[in-house]
Amino acid sequence: MIAQDFNYSTPATIEEALGLISGGEAKLLAGGMSLIPLMKLRLAAPGHVVDLSRVAGLSGISEAGGAIRVGAMMTHYEVESSALVRARCTLLAETAAMIGDVQVRNRGTMGGAVAHADPSADYPAALQALEARVTIAGAAGTRVVSVDEFFVDTFTTGLEPGEIITGIEVPVEPEGTGVSYQKMLQPASGFAIVGVAVRIRKEGGVISFARVGVTGLGSRAYRAAGVEERLAGTAGSASDIANAAAVIADGIDANSDIHASAAYRAQMARVFGARAIQAAVNRAA
Amino acid sequence: MKISGSHTVALGKERAYEVLQDPAILARCIPGCESLDRIGDDEYQMRMKMVLAAVSGQFAGKVRIADQSPCDSFRLIVEGSGKAGFMKGEGLLRLSGIEEGTQVDFDGDVQVGGTIASVGQRLIDATAKLMIKRFFAKLADSAVE
Repeated sequence: MIAQDFNYSTPATIEEALGLISGGEAKLLAGGMSLIPLMKLRLAAPGHVVDLSRVAGLSGISEAGGAIRVGAMMTHYEVESSALVRARCTLLAETAAMIGDVQVRNRGTMGGAVAHADPSADYPAALQALEARVTIAGAAGTRVVSVDEFFVDTFTTGLEPGEIITGIEVPVEPEGTGVSYQKMLQPASGFAIVGVAVRIRKEGGVISFARVGVTGLGSRAYRAAGVEERLAGTAGSASDIANAAAVIADGIDANSDIHASAAYRAQMARVFGARAIQAAVNRAA
Repeated sequence: MKISGSHTVALGKERAYEVLQDPAILARCIPGCESLDRIGDDEYQMRMKMVLAAVSGQFAGKVRIADQSPCDSFRLIVEGSGKAGFMKGEGLLRLSGIEEGTQVDFDGDVQVGGTIASVGQRLIDATAKLMIKRFFAKLADSAVE
């Protein structure tokens, strides 16, 4: 189908873009991997589309002060193939490489995916495990929000009307950190039925640091604090991992759809959680 | 598709039962509700605008209340349609007094069809839960007033 008529703007600066969306009616276009299909199906019919592709300051990947900043308009392919991200924040690169298919990764952007907040998107699991931060520009200036605060609910974020995500900050991973993102994917869409991202550090043979992010299971990606607590101080044996992964779905109201019931999803979160932890433990030095 | 869940309302059971059937309060609490007009005994016509992510659509439909067993339970029957698709739902709401107020347990069945269902099948459950959560969050705010 063909989208309903709309006005189209291509601002060159953040200030110009903020001005165009201040009325509240315009819709921001990043990679368009979600918005364009919805417009073509006429499920979305914004009167005004503001394309961010020419806005300066939303691209680039750089390192400063122990963090890597990924510009909001960087495509998934740019993230997965960035030498900096691959070397210094491997989990993010590996997660980006598992999003959708090659066409989606070539056009879809990190800022767009984060703003959309699909409950089954891949990035949010990694970003929770990485304790990442989202940089947001608005009329009142720039603010930085932790992803845990940012992801509020299904398709619901802390982004206020009139604001634009400018970038995402992830930590530079210390040497020896073992990471893994494992997902059970829905073959047609490539979305995660469940996906689990893990970071593990060891000290003197025991796990000294564990971060676990889960997507697809609940209404938003979350950090499985119970799993992290159970892993800490253990040697990371198969039974330690099974014992920790057992609580990954605790307290979560699991989603259910034609592809996977709530009980099955919760079980798959435990299975893929254990696999991701095992893989991260194996890689941790 | 089955939906069920439970929410707490900080109101006594009698008041909660009243509030959950008060059209003025419902109109304020149903996400995106633009109007709710009485068309018969326990029957209302509703217009709502659903906005979620990039999707926005207007729906017109009916809400009916049946099987009232005052202060304990009632049945809610909702149907609506718009350009994006249609939905039909029916659920039993059960109220029980607890320390914090009233616990509302609901158990129902929802059918969604049209474009919205053919492309959004995997999101129906998550969306339904989100709407119900928003409803009870607003109800909690209204109840305090």
